[in-house]
Amino acid sequence: MANTIIGNSIVIDGEISGDEELVIQGTVKGKIALAENLHVENGGVVEADIDTTTITISGQVTGNIAAKEKVEIRADGKMVGDIKAPRITIADGATFKGNVDMDV
Amino acid sequence: VAQETITKRRHDGPGSQCVIGKNIQIRGKLSGAEDLVVEGRIEGTVALKNHLTIEQTGVVEADVDVRDLTVHGEMRGDIAAVGSVSVSNAAKVVGNIRAPRIILEDGARFKGSIEMDVELPDNVKPRRERA
Repeated sequence: MANTIIGNSIVIDGEISGDEELVIQGTVKGKIALAENLHVENGGVVEADIDTTTITISGQVTGNIAAKEKVEIRADGKMVGDIKAPRITIADGATFKGNVDMDV
Repeated sequence: VAQETITKRRHDGPGSQCVIGKNIQIRGKLSGAEDLVVEGRIEGTVALKNHLTIEQTGVVEADVDVRDLTVHGEMRGDIAAVGSVSVSNAAKVVGNIRAPRIILEDGARFKGSIEMDVELPDNVKPRRERA
């Protein structure tokens, strides 16, 4: 599977869309629409509304997330915003502020 | 072979190289200080302190300000590089290039102006400057 990495010194201000796995180690501001898995790694900063299949957060995310499958906030993840997804996990140590909508 | 090299380099470690895969589109401003490989699509502006490579599947419609640029794919927009610009035989470039070193391979398709910003020897200078 092809795999895109936004490296830690990269700053993107705008829109990202696509249908392959995306790893963010840098900074993205704007909007992300992805039909695949999104990983915000430790050091990654995302200020964007996100529409994705799954997302794992080990970095910092500000914005609203809509995921078709799963949202996972790992122990070193920080998240501010609303989450809408059928499955949501928040690990011990994670920071989260916002609403959760699991559509149940 | 080049493709394999890139795939290997991706896993060298965090931040060593950034790859925009072929199913990814970016619209907006991109800036950074590391090598960037584009297999997908970028529209907007790119400002990079390192090397930008546009692979054969890559399409960049942007004004680009980089250290070095290598184009194997498609590039539309003005290019300013402080190092070199290399347009390979598979590349298609529409726009103006400004760089001290510019390599245009046989087979490359290019439309635009080239400014190499160098001191020309006396015998090739435009006539009015020679006087």
